[in-house]
Amino acid sequence: MEQPKTFSIVLVSPDLEKLHASAIMGSGAAMAGMDVNIFVTMEALRAFLKKTIEQRSFVKSGIGATLLDKKVPLFYQLFQQAKELGKLHIYACAMSADIMGWKKEDMVDVIDDIIGVNKFFSLSMAGPIVTM
Amino acid sequence: MTDMTINKTIDARGSYCPGPLMELIKALNHESINSVVEVLSNDEGSAKDVPEWVAKAGHELVYIKKDGDFWRLAVRKKK
Repeated sequence: MEQPKTFSIVLVSPDLEKLHASAIMGSGAAMAGMDVNIFVTMEALRAFLKKTIEQRSFVKSGIGATLLDKKVPLFYQLFQQAKELGKLHIYACAMSADIMGWKKEDMVDVIDDIIGVNKFFSLSMAGPIVTM
Repeated sequence: MTDMTINKTIDARGSYCPGPLMELIKALNHESINSVVEVLSNDEGSAKDVPEWVAKAGHELVYIKKDGDFWRLAVRKKK
């Protein structure tokens, strides 16, 4: 079966284990040669704020706490590495950013841009979109 | 195993999936065609995932073998 051209993930949950799973899926897809688009919305966007990362104040359930304890590279670090090895872009949801008053400079550098849902769909039409 | 020159060995033991694969791809990007990169990994997922990626990316899996409690995977860069 032919591989889709794009693979896209909508991140809604701030739960560290979901963010980590998305980073593994996304980086795997990028390494396999797909164009990967990550759209970060709602509370998930808070996890990409510099403040959250500096304070390591993540929402943790299940395996999330163990990920922190074992000092594995976290989601934003995996995404950063994936960007160096393939085509992966991360977009912050404009609505969430606007409503919370978060600016691009408040977010970690892996965020490429702040976009709306229509732009995201136009980037993601050539393959599956999963929501986490 | 003749002409088994390993150009670079990466020790990715202790690194979880997808760490070993990422390290391998980074290393291959810096090597020339026909160079062989060996990865040491004790991650179960990577032992399955790395060969899958190698086949897909069009490189050659020279060997995958268990060495005590870890794997040695050698990959020849083909393009």
